[in-house]
Amino acid sequence: MTKVLVAEDDKLISGSLCDALKAAGFEPHPAYDGEETVAKTKEVKPDIMLLDIMMPKLDGISVLWELKADPDTAKIPVVVLTNIGDVETISKIVEAGAVDYLLKSDQSIDEIVQKVRDVLQRTVHLA
Amino acid sequence: MIINILLIIDFVMLAVVVTGYIYTSVKERRFLRQEAGQSLELQQKVYQTQVLKEISERIGYSLDTNKIVEIITSSLGNLLEYDTVAYMMLEESGKIIFKCHVERTVNHEFIEQVKEKMLLSYSAILNREIKSANLDESVTGNILDDNLKVGVVSFFNLPVVISGKLVALINVASGEAGRYGEEQASILYTITNQAAMAVSKLQAVLDSEKGKLSAIIYSLADGVIMVGLDNRLLVYNPAVRSILGLNTDQEISMFDIVDSLAGKVDLRTKIDQAIAKDQLLSVPEVVLKDRALEITVSPVKNSDGEKLGASVVFHDVTSEKSLEKLRQEFTAMMVHELRAPLTAVRWSSESLIKNLSAAQGVEPGKVKDTVMTIETASNNMLELVNDLLDVAKIEAGKFELNLQEYDLVEVINEQVKVFKSQAEVKHLAISITAPPKYILKFDRVRVSQVLGNLLSNAIKYTDSGQIEVNLNINAADKRVVVSVKDTGIGVAREDLNELFSKFKQLKSSDRSRKGTGLGLVVSKGIVEAHGGKIWAESAGENLGSTFYFSLPIQ
Repeated sequence: MTKVLVAEDDKLISGSLCDALKAAGFEPHPAYDGEETVAKTKEVKPDIMLLDIMMPKLDGISVLWELKADPDTAKIPVVVLTNIGDVETISKIVEAGAVDYLLKSDQSIDEIVQKVRDVLQRTVHLA
Repeated sequence: MIINILLIIDFVMLAVVVTGYIYTSVKERRFLRQEAGQSLELQQKVYQTQVLKEISERIGYSLDTNKIVEIITSSLGNLLEYDTVAYMMLEESGKIIFKCHVERTVNHEFIEQVKEKMLLSYSAILNREIKSANLDESVTGNILDDNLKVGVVSFFNLPVVISGKLVALINVASGEAGRYGEEQASILYTITNQAAMAVSKLQAVLDSEKGKLSAIIYSLADGVIMVGLDNRLLVYNPAVRSILGLNTDQEISMFDIVDSLAGKVDLRTKIDQAIAKDQLLSVPEVVLKDRALEITVSPVKNSDGEKLGASVVFHDVTSEKSLEKLRQEFTAMMVHELRAPLTAVRWSSESLIKNLSAAQGVEPGKVKDTVMTIETASNNMLELVNDLLDVAKIEAGKFELNLQEYDLVEVINEQVKVFKSQAEVKHLAISITAPPKYILKFDRVRVSQVLGNLLSNAIKYTDSGQIEVNLNINAADKRVVVSVKDTGIGVAREDLNELFSKFKQLKSSDRSRKGTGLGLVVSKGIVEAHGGKIWAESAGENLGSTFYFSLPIQ
């Protein structure tokens, strides 16, 4: 089954995301802070990651840099999912190597699931 | 005999008449002579006034000594006759200006004699030798004729003293003997003196105005400089040093100023542009190492419109900019904090709808979970909106309290009970030290809110250890002090006071631990509305912290 790492510190949001992904046939793995995200990514080796920016211990952008620096995790496509919408943050996210950027409150949960499918398809084709 | 007597009488009578006549005529003549003298004096007085008037009108508000002396010199023609009138001025550079106007044709020798007499006199007044080597000479007026046999026979020198300083020497000279007596000299002296005095007064007024102006410029918080057309620094105030960080005791130059701007703005070009275009130029935000400056360059001209250079004002906008940044961060944070629960509500309702319309029927446990998510998210959002409203009320000074007598100990116990389960999740114990009962007048809901906020923070920022709540009654100070002590991450000393301010809190708060920091701002408002105080103490980061609030005993 396709493994999706869900890096999100808000338990309510994480719960909704995991439920929806499970219902769509994915295998969600929640992580609730930045450090846990890095550790779990190395352990689980997910096919794709949904990453929040504002998280305890290590913020999403630092997580992204750390994962991109490690050849084992560098190729995992990361979709950033956040509620920070300022240009400065967006440019940092793009610079750090995220494949896409979504504003949480702008998306329905179905749209996010669809985005996961799209990105996976694209990267599979590329591979 | 009788005839003799008659003759004698006749003779006496004649004598009386003749004497009377002589007497009368002498008297008349004396009177006439007197009148003539008076009218001459009057005439001179009138001249004198006219000349003074003319001088003062022509001088106007000028303080250019060259111009003043020239005006006085050229006005003397109305008062007396001369062949030449000249003035001599010693400039600061050591150069001597000698200007001579030839009224009636004389020869070169005459001019040389005038010059010599003036140099001698100038040297005598200054008590040092003035040499003709540095003389800047100009002769105007009538032509010179060396065939003419004429020499300086009558002359006099008149010193012009302005503000107690000898500024020039005026000379009138004539080839005729006895031209200038004491009378003329005294009239001229009066005129020159009065003109000089008027100028002295004007200068004093201007100096005092200039003094006020420089005092203002020197006391300005903004850095102000004036640059000449040759790009030389003419004036600068002390604020320039502090604003540009020029910490030297030495005089600063234009080079130092340009250097301190570290290439962030091309000041020289800006100055040139301002002067060339004759308009004000402003650079709104120049960010140096630790400050933001607004730089304004304006061209400087004198009253005749002649360009003199440019003034540059360095205005420190650091605090304005950082406040603006904090405000932006605050808004961004608020938006973020509101979006999180909104997202949860949106996604939960979405999955609920999907579940309810699913063909295979609803899973009751799942529905309950989802609805609980919606409830929690809505409560979080409501709490945030209430905090924002409270802050707005506090800021507007419209915070109202419902003051009644309650047992403060009971309220403390109640709040600790509310937070017990949250603390237990993190294995934190909460202990209370307080008397069994303490009745006080306060707003029960609001004080509960403060306690709740302090307890929730203590739990949030403590990963191990315990939390102690203490009620201390200080009868002497007429107040009770409640403290909440934790063993958590603590607060850096410099951030202690900023915890309770709306914007600053955010800056110092660890973004990874969520929260808007509004709780403490609201708590401060509540405590202060009661007439109490709120403060925090911490030995430093990771050394725990204690939050206190006091309430007055009525």
